[in-house]
Amino acid sequence: MVYIAIIIGCLVGALVGLNAPIVSYTYSNYLAIAIIAALDSVFGGVVATIKKNFDLKIFLTGFFGNAILSILLAILGEKLNVDIYLAAIIVFVGRMFTNLAIIRRYYLEKWTNMVEKRKNKKEDKKETKE
Amino acid sequence: MNKKKKVNIGLIVSIAITSFVLGLTMVIQFKTVTETDITGMEVMSEASLRKSYDKYKEEYDYYTQEIDKTAQRIEEFQNEINENNDISELLSREVSEAKTIAGYTDVTGQGIEVTLKDTDNKQITVEDILSLIDELKLAGAEAISINNQRIVALTDFSSVNYKFIYVNTANDLITSRISSPYVIKAIGNQKYLESSINIKYGFLDNMKNSGKDASYILNDNVMIPKYGDMTEYKYASEIDE
Repeated sequence: MVYIAIIIGCLVGALVGLNAPIVSYTYSNYLAIAIIAALDSVFGGVVATIKKNFDLKIFLTGFFGNAILSILLAILGEKLNVDIYLAAIIVFVGRMFTNLAIIRRYYLEKWTNMVEKRKNKKEDKKETKE
Repeated sequence: MNKKKKVNIGLIVSIAITSFVLGLTMVIQFKTVTETDITGMEVMSEASLRKSYDKYKEEYDYYTQEIDKTAQRIEEFQNEINENNDISELLSREVSEAKTIAGYTDVTGQGIEVTLKDTDNKQITVEDILSLIDELKLAGAEAISINNQRIVALTDFSSVNYKFIYVNTANDLITSRISSPYVIKAIGNQKYLESSINIKYGFLDNMKNSGKDASYILNDNVMIPKYGDMTEYKYASEIDE
């Protein structure tokens, strides 16, 4: 059910986005940072589900809060003439990589366990035949 | 069980909304990035516009400086021309001399004023005037006028029925008609001019013998006007040597 919701949500969002007007190039910087913050939240959510401590409230506040905060920080950086958005990108993308590593290890472990279980089953079957 | 289902629905809706937002923003961003090149200036960022403004300003300043430099160079050339004006001065002096010779300037100087008058019996003829002018020219007169009509190379004399005398008809027919008394002014060496007409059996003697009235005075400040209008040669052109 959750995966269906994700797919349908993404598809509807993409369809609406195709018909939406484009943003001025000046503001596309901020939108890009918001997207990266949101993606970071998504991966964080995936990791949380793997660790079985997923909280919807934390996910939602992280998703929208991080996006809005990163936009605000980027605007502040523009005003201060400091590229704060670079720091935001480094933090979010770095966290995304760590999260991805956790996800990778989890599924790798799962896969290796599955392979070992099959081997064990086959060996068990052979033993019973003999 | 019931409670668990409710939580599930909330989760699904909120995740759907977040994925919707994510998909929307991402597609908008993709579109923005891909279409920026096509739309060009319209969506150009403020920063890049400022940059190009600065660039054009720099170019403008550069070209303004170039213009100033060129103007300075022109001024320098002008100054050089003014400094090297020996040739042009010479040329203008030559032109003014030529004008004086041709009779296109008012001239003044020492000379003689001869007055010829009609008497009751005898009239002054064109031949008399011409012979006087020839005498004066032979005596080295530099400028001659008759009744303030300048005698130049173009000057013509004509008489109608021995009654009316016309001078410089090419200039203006109406003002060209002259009548007695005829005042012929000549600038030149006073002694030569005087002696040339005063010589024995000379012009004055001839006039007196034929019973015509002729007199002269010497003037140290004879004024001779320039030849009427600037004569334009309509049919004659210069021959380059």
